[in-house]
Amino acid sequence: MTILPLDKPTEKLLEILNANAINEQNIEAALKLDLDMNGDFGECWLLLNFSEKTLCSVDINKESFSSTPISELSGTYIDSYTTSNRVLSHKKTTDSDEKHTVILGNCTNACKCKLLAFVTIWERLENGISVTEDDPIFEQFNAKCPKCGRVYENQQRRICTHCINKKGTIVRMLSYFKPFKANLAVVLVCMLASSVISLLSPILNGKLLFDQVISKPTYNEAGEMITGKLHDIKYVYIVVGIIIGMAILSLTVSIVQNRCNAYMSTRVTRNMKNDIFRAMNKLSLSYFNQNPTGRLINRVNYDAVRIRNFYIDGVPYLIVHLLNFVGLTIFLFTINWKLTLIVFIPVPIIVLIFKIMLPKLWRMYNKQWRHSSSLNAFLGDSLNGIRVVKAFAKEDDESNRFYKYSTNLFNANLQTNIVSLTIFPVVSLLIGISSQAIWGFGGINVMNQQMTYGDLTTYLGYVGMIFGPLNFFTNFTNLLTDTMNSAMRMFETLDMIPEITEDKDPVDIPDIKGAIKFNHVCFHYNPNRPILKDITFELKPGDHLGLVGHTGSGKSTIANLITRMYDTVSGSVSIDGVNVKKIKTECLRKNVAIVSQEIFLFKGTIADNIRYAKPEATFDEVVAAAKAANAHDFILNLPEGYETMVGIGSRTLSGGERQRISIARALLLAPQLLILDEATAAMDTQTEKLISEAIDKLIVGRTTITIAHRLSTLKNCNVIMAIEHGEVAEIGTAEELLEKKGVYYKLYTLQNEQMKKVMQGI
Amino acid sequence: MKDENIKNTAAEEEEIDLFKKRQSVQLTPENAEFIRSEGGLVSLKLKNDDGSVEFFERVLPIRSFPITDPDEFIAIREPDSKDKGKGDEIGMIRKLSDFDKAAQELLGEELQRRYFTPQLSKIYSVKDKFGYSYWEVQTSAGKISFVMNNPSSNIRTLEDGRVFIHDIDGNCFEITEPEKLDKASFRHIEIYM
Repeated sequence: MTILPLDKPTEKLLEILNANAINEQNIEAALKLDLDMNGDFGECWLLLNFSEKTLCSVDINKESFSSTPISELSGTYIDSYTTSNRVLSHKKTTDSDEKHTVILGNCTNACKCKLLAFVTIWERLENGISVTEDDPIFEQFNAKCPKCGRVYENQQRRICTHCINKKGTIVRMLSYFKPFKANLAVVLVCMLASSVISLLSPILNGKLLFDQVISKPTYNEAGEMITGKLHDIKYVYIVVGIIIGMAILSLTVSIVQNRCNAYMSTRVTRNMKNDIFRAMNKLSLSYFNQNPTGRLINRVNYDAVRIRNFYIDGVPYLIVHLLNFVGLTIFLFTINWKLTLIVFIPVPIIVLIFKIMLPKLWRMYNKQWRHSSSLNAFLGDSLNGIRVVKAFAKEDDESNRFYKYSTNLFNANLQTNIVSLTIFPVVSLLIGISSQAIWGFGGINVMNQQMTYGDLTTYLGYVGMIFGPLNFFTNFTNLLTDTMNSAMRMFETLDMIPEITEDKDPVDIPDIKGAIKFNHVCFHYNPNRPILKDITFELKPGDHLGLVGHTGSGKSTIANLITRMYDTVSGSVSIDGVNVKKIKTECLRKNVAIVSQEIFLFKGTIADNIRYAKPEATFDEVVAAAKAANAHDFILNLPEGYETMVGIGSRTLSGGERQRISIARALLLAPQLLILDEATAAMDTQTEKLISEAIDKLIVGRTTITIAHRLSTLKNCNVIMAIEHGEVAEIGTAEELLEKKGVYYKLYTLQNEQMKKVMQGI
Repeated sequence: MKDENIKNTAAEEEEIDLFKKRQSVQLTPENAEFIRSEGGLVSLKLKNDDGSVEFFERVLPIRSFPITDPDEFIAIREPDSKDKGKGDEIGMIRKLSDFDKAAQELLGEELQRRYFTPQLSKIYSVKDKFGYSYWEVQTSAGKISFVMNNPSSNIRTLEDGRVFIHDIDGNCFEITEPEKLDKASFRHIEIYM
C-alpha cells in the first residue's frame, strides 16, 4: 500500500511516527495543516491509518502525537469561515452512546482544497470504496501548463517557469521597436546633432560674434591678439548668417526627429495595444471575473502609452542629457575652472532638495491620482445608477457625496501645487543666485583681463544648460519605476496562460449527437465556496433536461461547464463520450449554443446581433430565427426593422425583447445542443408559451437543457434534475419526482398553492 | 383585509411544514446561556418565551459588521449540516458587552478563530517575481510567508487608516496602525496605501 498523493510526509513527521511505533506503510493519506490547535501558525498533520483503524494527529513543533480509533469518529466535516477552517467530527463519549463534537485540526485557506479532498477520501474509505492514486480527485493538485505539459511547481501560482519569458523586461519592451531600427537610428542621430548644435551656439554667440567680431582688437601681455581678430562689418553678416543657419538647421533636425518619432511611436503603441487585447481575449472567464473591466481598459489604453513614452521621451533623452552633461562639464572647466566651482556649489543643495522633496511630491501625486480615480469611480457609479437615484429622490445626497469627493481631490491638488510651487522657485532662485555670482566673479575676471567678455557669455550660456540634465536625472528614476510597473502589468497579461486552452490534439466530432455525461464533477470559483460537489448524471441524445434548484445552487455552472466557459476542478464532462477538454473549440462552439441569464447586445443592428455567432448567415436565416424566437413581430414594429441600432447608448429594448433576440442568436446556429439558462424569465406567460412551442418544434432530436424557476417552463422536459447545495438532489421524470416528495415536490406544491391562492383571491 | 381571520387550510399547514424556518430572537443574558462544550466549542442553552429550554450543542457566532462593529450585532446560528442544509439563525446578540465576562471570552475566542486575521507587526521582505510578490512577515500568530498578486486590489486601506492585506489563498492580514510600524516595514506598504 502506498500513500495517496495528497501531502508528502516530511522527514520530521516520519521520525515522530517511528518514535510512536507507527509504520508509515500503513498510512493511506496524509494532510498537512498550517495552524496548530491554538489557532496559531504551525505545522500539524492528520494521518489516515485504515489498516490500524486509527486517525493520527501530529504537531511537528510540539512533537506531540495522538491517535483516535476511527470507529469513534463519525460525520467528519469542515467548518469553514472567511479565512479559517476547522475539521470537526462527532466523537462517541466513552460511557454512553452520546456524541459530542470535537476539533481535529485547524488550517487557513491555503490548505482548504487538500482538506476537502482528505475528508472526501476518508468518507469513501469508510464506506468501503477504494481510492486509487489516479482518482479524479487528485487532478486539481496536478494542474499542468497547457503549453508544455509540465506540472506547475506551485499549484496556486500557475506560472510555468519553463515557458515564462525570461528576457529582461527592458529588452522585451525594446523588441517592439525592432521593426523600426532605421527610424530609431535616425532619431538618435538627430538628437546627437541637435545636442551638438546646442553646445556650439554659445560659442558662436560669445566667443566668435562678440569677442572676435564686435570687440575691438586687444592684445594680451605676450602681444598675442585675443579679441577682434575678425573686427569687420562683413564678418558681422557672416557670423549672424551662420547663427541663423544653425537655428534653421536645428529646427530641421528637430522636425525630422519628431516626424520619425511620430511614425514609430504611434505604430509601436498600436502594436502593443493589439497584442494586449488579443492576449486578454484568449484568457478564460475567471480572469475577467477577477479583474474589473475598468482596470482592464486602463491596461490596454494607458500602459502601452506609458511604455511608448519611456522609449520616446525617456531613453533617447537620457543618452543626450548624459552626453550633454559630460560635454558641458568639460567645457565649463576648460573655460574657467574657478568659476565652475562656483557653479557647482548649489548643485549639492539642489540635489539634496530634490532627494528629500521629490519622494514627498511623488507620494502627493499618487494621492492625487487615487482621489481622482475614486472621483471617477463615483461618477461612473452614480450616473449608471441614475434610475435608482431618481427613484429614491437622492439627487441632493449624490451631489453632496460628489462634493466630498471633489473636495478631497481639490485638497490633494492644492497640497501638491503648494509643494511643487515652493520647491521649483527655490531651486530657480538658487540657480539664479549662482549665475548672478558668476556675473560678478566673471565680471571681475573680465576687468582683470583673465577672460574675455565673450568667454563669459559663452560660459553663462553653458551654465544655463547644465541644470536641464540635472533635473532630468532626478526625475528619471520615477519615470523608470512607472514604466516598469506598466511593463510588468502588460507582460503579466501577455504571459498569462489561459486556464482553458484547446487540446494539442483536439477531437473534431463532425456530427455531434448530444449525449452528455457528468462524471464526479467538482467545481468552485473560489476554494472557499464549493459550487458543485460530486455531480454525476447522463443524458441521451435528444433528451430535454429541466434543471431546478435554489438560486446559487449551481445550475448555471453546469451549463458553463458544458460550454467549457470554465474547466472542472476534478471529474469530467463529456459530449458523445469525448471529454469536452479534448473537443475542438470550434466544433464545440458550433454545436453548443447557450442563452444565458446575462444578455449582452453589442452595439450594432438587431440583424448583426442575431447573426453574431454566424456572420455569414443570410437575411432569410435571420428572419427565420427571429420568427422562431417570437421576436419578428416586435422587430418589425420598430421604425428601422432589423436595422434598428441597439446596444449601449442606442435604442433601449425591454428585458423580454432582449431575451428574444438572444434566443434568436442561439437558434440561428441550429445547434445540436441547446442550453436555455432562465432564457424566458423576463417574458410574460403568453410569450413564453409561444416561444417554448416554437423551440419545441426546433429541438426535436436535439439535446436541450432548460434552467428555470417557473415549473411551467419545464413542462416538456422528459428528465428533471433538482440541484441542491451543489449536489444532485434527485433526477427522474416529473411524475417520479412528485412521488418522491423531495425538492421538486416542494417547489411544485408551493407554486401550486400560490396559484390556488391567486385563484381564490386570497 | 380578509386574510387576517382566514382559517388555515390543510394545504397551508403542509406548506408551513415544508418551508418552516426558525424565528430569530433577541439574545440577552436573561434568555441565553453560552457554555463551553466538551470538545471546546460553543454551546447554547436558550430559554424560549413559552418557558421551554432548548439546548444547542454547537452554535456559530457570525458578525454582521465584521470590520467596523466586530462586537455588536452578532448572529448566533445553527451549524449547516448535510441532512438539514443551511443552519437557521437562532438569535441576535445586540451587544457582546451585555453578557458576563465568561460568555464574552468564550464567544470572543470563537469569533477570533472564525475571523482569523493575524495582526501584522513587521515586514521582513517583499520580493517581486513574475507578477507575484512574496512576503515574509511577523504576525500575532507567528512568523510566516505568503504570496500575493495584484497589490493594488488586494491591499485595502480603510478610512480609519487600517490596512487589510489579502493573499493569494484568500487569507487576510491586518495592520491596525500602519504609521506605528518600523520605517523599513512601513516603506513596503506605503506605496499601496
